[in-house]
Amino acid sequence: MKYSLNIGWLYPDLMSIYGDRGNIISLTKRCQWRGIGVEVSPISLQSSEKDLSSCDILMMGGAQDSQQTIVAQDLSKKKKVLSEMVESGIPGIYVCGGFQFLGHYYKEADGTKIEQLGVLDVYTENPGRERLIGNIAIKVENSKFNFKDLVVGFENHGGRTILGSKVEPLGKVIFGYGSNDSAKEEGAVYKNSIGTYLHGPILPKNPEIADWLIEKALEKKYPSLSLGQINNILLPIDDSMSQKAKEAVLKMLGIVDN
Amino acid sequence: MTIMSILLGKIVILLSRLFNLGNGSTWPGQIALSLEKNFLKKITKKSKVKIILIAGTNGKTTTAKLLSTILLKNGKKVFQNTSGANLLNGIASSFIANSSVQGNVDFEYAIFEVDENTLPYVLQELTPFAVIILNLFRDQLDRYGEIDSIAKKWKDPLVKLPKESNVFLNADDSLVAFLGKGLQASVHYFGLDIKDKSENILKHGSDSIYCPICGKKLIFDAVFYSHLGIWECKNCGFKRPNVDIADFYIPLVGLYNKYNTLAAALISLKIGITKEQIGKALKSFQPAFGRQEKLSVAGKNIQIFLAKNPTGFNQNLQALKSLGAKNVLIVLNDRIPDGRDISWIWDIDFESYIDSFKSVIISGDRVYDMALRFQYASKIKNVKLKMKNENSNLKIFEALSGAVNFGLETPEQEVLYILPTYSAMLEVRKILTGKKIL
Repeated sequence: MKYSLNIGWLYPDLMSIYGDRGNIISLTKRCQWRGIGVEVSPISLQSSEKDLSSCDILMMGGAQDSQQTIVAQDLSKKKKVLSEMVESGIPGIYVCGGFQFLGHYYKEADGTKIEQLGVLDVYTENPGRERLIGNIAIKVENSKFNFKDLVVGFENHGGRTILGSKVEPLGKVIFGYGSNDSAKEEGAVYKNSIGTYLHGPILPKNPEIADWLIEKALEKKYPSLSLGQINNILLPIDDSMSQKAKEAVLKMLGIVDN
Repeated sequence: MTIMSILLGKIVILLSRLFNLGNGSTWPGQIALSLEKNFLKKITKKSKVKIILIAGTNGKTTTAKLLSTILLKNGKKVFQNTSGANLLNGIASSFIANSSVQGNVDFEYAIFEVDENTLPYVLQELTPFAVIILNLFRDQLDRYGEIDSIAKKWKDPLVKLPKESNVFLNADDSLVAFLGKGLQASVHYFGLDIKDKSENILKHGSDSIYCPICGKKLIFDAVFYSHLGIWECKNCGFKRPNVDIADFYIPLVGLYNKYNTLAAALISLKIGITKEQIGKALKSFQPAFGRQEKLSVAGKNIQIFLAKNPTGFNQNLQALKSLGAKNVLIVLNDRIPDGRDISWIWDIDFESYIDSFKSVIISGDRVYDMALRFQYASKIKNVKLKMKNENSNLKIFEALSGAVNFGLETPEQEVLYILPTYSAMLEVRKILTGKKIL
């Protein structure tokens, strides 16, 4: 194969209880269907910094609290590499717990403040109030993307994430809660990294985001490729099923007519 | 006052039966509990009935049915709550239906399956003779939350149980086994034998693979499925407890039913029924509705395998494969009893099973999410993937009746296996039998 990408799946045994594996499946298949070689590298406790730095796309999902504690200890050792990767434009999608990890800190309901990686300019506080749970639809309004469709998913989080000035939200909430109770905004984007609360999982039902990540990974790994050449590699895929699945959610939420 | 609650409840039961309202298993209890908050405390205090509670993510209904079959066949007087009516109101309803108007309960045993979130509340109201805990798997995370937090909520009420109570735990589930530490009640363990080990690797979606005490990764000598196995923490020394039972005659397919049967058999032995008597009773076992239940409709053979979370779904697919299943109907709903979040279908290993079926029909409220899952599970390599035609062994139906009718075209000598989520199971059964259950 002429082109190949190494997808780094951060903590598949610890940070993957909400079906976020679907994001890995989506990225893998969308590469394979276009003849792009794919390797999926699980990055977990036993992985080295080199294992991590050899990845071309990163994905991290959500987890239970106790498992996040284990991950936090390990991530502190890989912080430098991960931070450099994000800064250098390695594309990644960090969902729910994964999103929170990338921020400055996580403050628990009892006031305990847990230092996080500080890779993204966000912080998360859990006010101890009800979790924000339900279907969500957002409109992506961000200069980096040119998505025509609404993005849909399912959110389930106790923490409220506040964005700093160095990041932009992924989009505006049309239905649901979003990153916190008040801003009506969802997610955070910095360089080629996306933090979001959307399970669903997010990539299969919103293939535009998956393709954007793949495009950025190709750009980064093969700098001599022109935009036209990348577009030629990213052949169109029949996404009629994801369209219909998305429509079903939008109808249920009353956003489009039955 | 209790007499009033019971009387009112009994009238509601009568009316709902008379008019086929289908809510007789929760309404009466709901009314009684709103009249008297401590209704359950009062009615259980008065009675000598020994209460057996069954909790855990998967297998509650089947285990309750296995146990009631054993007890009834051996001459015990038993009543149980209606499957699915496993909140406080369902348990209260069950007492109302099975007591005299004065609140006398003339039974030896009451078997209640209890919802994960409800168990702590039930334990506040009554002191059980026994609690069985089967397993904890990720399930409807939008409704139940994460399994560690469920276990945390269970721990305290279990610790408070008196020494007369018995707790029966799955030794192969590290988080469940952990619940047995520090109890006054007597603890009994069931688990599989090392010879039951299957592929022996921890697959994706395994939940409790880190030590519940110290957080280090557990070492497995055997893996049965998901995170169930023979495990040990090399760091703090916590390890799978020795089991009181590991082998028995199993009247159903699927390794998961081995656990259910072992739990039911162990408690029956404790009650004083002999091994032979239990085995004999199990020979006549009929599955609970929707749990490997066999139906014959219009001359066609149908078997329903309720499948409502990743581990249950994977185990059912495994069981279907071992049965040589050819025709499968999958129904995915996202109503409250199913969990509103359907992300979990991406934790099911369809990739390992998709080739073994000749025909797959899909339907339900979220049929296109399931179609999408199948698109991504397919082994088709080329980019111009056309779902409808090329992948012709997959049939997509928005309307469930259409899916069922198509399924009924299954050849007579073959079986149509139906894998529905909970509300879908009720709907499918209603279409097939013309009867409501709840």
